[in-house]
Amino acid sequence: MANGQIRVEDAVVDYSAGRGASHRVLNRINLEIGSGEFVSIVGKTGCGKSTLLRLILGEERPTGGRVLVNDQVRAHPDRLCGYVPQKYSLFPDKTVLANVVFGLDVSEFGPLSFFSPQRRRRMREFRATALLYLERTGLTESDAGKYPHQLSGGMQQRVAIAQALIMKPPILLMDEAFSALDPGTRKEMQSLMKDLWRSSGTTVVFVTHNTEEAVCLGSRVIVLSGNSPGEGSRVALDLPVGNLDFGSHPEDIRNLAEQIDRAMLPGLHVESTAAEMSLAYGNAT
Amino acid sequence: MNPFRLHATPGKVTALALSWVLFSAGILSYFYVAGKRHAENPDDRVTPTISQMVSAFQSASLEPFEEEIAEEGATQKSIWSSISSSMLWKDTAATTWRFLISVALLFPAVVLGLHMAMFPYVGAFFLRFFQFFDKIVALSLLPILFIAFGIDELSKVMLIVIGVAPTIVLDTFNLSKSVPREQIVKAFTLGAGDLAVTYRIIFKQIWPHVLNSIRLNLKAVMLFLFAGEMIASADGLAYRIALLRRNMAMDTIVPYVLWVALLLFLVDLALNTINRKMHPWFQEI
Repeated sequence: MANGQIRVEDAVVDYSAGRGASHRVLNRINLEIGSGEFVSIVGKTGCGKSTLLRLILGEERPTGGRVLVNDQVRAHPDRLCGYVPQKYSLFPDKTVLANVVFGLDVSEFGPLSFFSPQRRRRMREFRATALLYLERTGLTESDAGKYPHQLSGGMQQRVAIAQALIMKPPILLMDEAFSALDPGTRKEMQSLMKDLWRSSGTTVVFVTHNTEEAVCLGSRVIVLSGNSPGEGSRVALDLPVGNLDFGSHPEDIRNLAEQIDRAMLPGLHVESTAAEMSLAYGNAT
Repeated sequence: MNPFRLHATPGKVTALALSWVLFSAGILSYFYVAGKRHAENPDDRVTPTISQMVSAFQSASLEPFEEEIAEEGATQKSIWSSISSSMLWKDTAATTWRFLISVALLFPAVVLGLHMAMFPYVGAFFLRFFQFFDKIVALSLLPILFIAFGIDELSKVMLIVIGVAPTIVLDTFNLSKSVPREQIVKAFTLGAGDLAVTYRIIFKQIWPHVLNSIRLNLKAVMLFLFAGEMIASADGLAYRIALLRRNMAMDTIVPYVLWVALLLFLVDLALNTINRKMHPWFQEI
C-alpha cells in the first residue's frame, strides 16, 4: 500500500487547555488506508478517535504533520468524504426524500438555477434515484414523506446512510453512527452496513467505542490508546481481521474483542501486548 | 385529589372556568366602582359606564371624522363608507402602515444576523458593534432622531428600527450559531456551497424560530411606535389616546386601549398559526 487513499503522516493534535497550556490528543499518528478497506477505529472515550476522523474529513487541521486524501492535503469537508455522525445527521426541516435528494440537487444546481425548468425536470429523476437508495437501506416508500422527528433512531441512521451513499463518495466516514441505537437495531444496521460496503466498494472509516462492533464490522481494526493522559494517543494496534471469517462464530468475535479490550487497560504495555496479538491474528490472514 | 399538587389535573370545564375568573373579576370590579362613582356624581368622566363607552366607540368607528363633516353633506351612506371615513379607521390605518413598514425593515436585520453567524469575517466586523448598539436605550435617542430626521414619519420608523433591529440581529445570530455543527459538515460533504449551506440549511431551519422571535418582539415594536406617535404625530391610535387624555375622554380611551390589545393579539395569533401550518416539522424547545 505505497499509495494509500488516505494517508495520515505524523499527525499531532493539541487542544489548548487555557492559560497557555495545551493538551495533546493525538501523538504522531501514522496511518495508511487503502481504497476499499473497512477500517474500524476503536478506543476509549476521549482518546481522540473522533478527532482523527475529523482530520480525514477536513473539518480540523492537525497541529503537526499532515493528512492527505488522494495525495491532496485536506482543507475543508467536501464530496470526497461522506459523513454519518451519531446525532443531527438529518436536516430536520426536510422530509426523508428531500434529505436524500438534497445532495444530488445542491451539487448540480447552484443558487442561480434554483428556479430553472431544468431543475424541475432533473428533480423527478433525483427522486427516483433517492427512492432506490431508500429501498437499499431498508426503508419503504411510505417513509419518504415523513420528517426526521417522526422516525425512530435506527430509521434516521438508515436515511443518513442513504443520504451519504447516493453521492457515491470514495470514502465514507462514520462517527459512532450506531452508538445511540438499541442492541437489536444495532445488529441489523451492522449487517446492513457490511452489505452496503461490499456492494458499493467505498472505503469506510468507522469510529466506535465498542470493540465488539469494531471487530465484527471492520476488515481492519485500529486501536488508539495512550500510555498516560496528556501525552496523546498513538496507534496501539493495527490488526487486519478481514479474512477471519466470523460469520458463524460470534464467540470468536467476543474473544478477540476481549483481548483487545485487555490490551487497552492502563498500566499494561500496550505495544508489547499489541505486538503479540498482531502475531497471533495477523498471521491468520 | 388535592388541587394544589403538581400532578393535579383540572378537567376541561374547570380549566375554562378558572381561566375566566380574573377577567370577570376585573370587569365586575370596574363596573362596581363605576356605578358607585356615577351614583355620587352623574357627570363623572374618569370611569365611564358601558353604555357611554359603547356609544363613544360607535361614534368613533361609524361616524365620519369631524374634520370632514362640512364637506360631506347630508347624503345617506353605506356602513362601509361610514366606517372607512371614521376616526378609528383613519387612526388604525395610519398606525398599521407605520407598523408594517417597521416590521418589513426588520427582515434585513435577519439576513445580517444570519451572515454574521455564518461568515466569520462578517461576524468579526459587526458583532461587537451590535452588542453595544443593542444596549442603547432607543427612547433616549428620540430627541436626536427628531433633530436629525425631522418629526415626520421617518423619525418614527427609525426609532422602531433602532430599538428592535439589534435584538433581531443578535437573536438571529444566536439561533444560527445554535444549529449543530454536524449539519453544516454534512451539507458540505453532500456538495453544498457556502450560500447553499447558509440559506438552504441554516436559514430554512431557523426561519420559524426567527418568526417566533419577531412575534415576541412585536410588543417592543408597538411600544416604540406608540412613543413616537404620542410625542410627534397628527394621526394614529397612540396620537388619539394622547389627545383624548387632555379632555379626560375616558369613554373613548378605554375602548381604544382594548382595540389596540385586540389587534395585537390577533396579529400574534395569526403569525403563530401560520408559522405552525407552514412548518409542520417545527417543534418548540
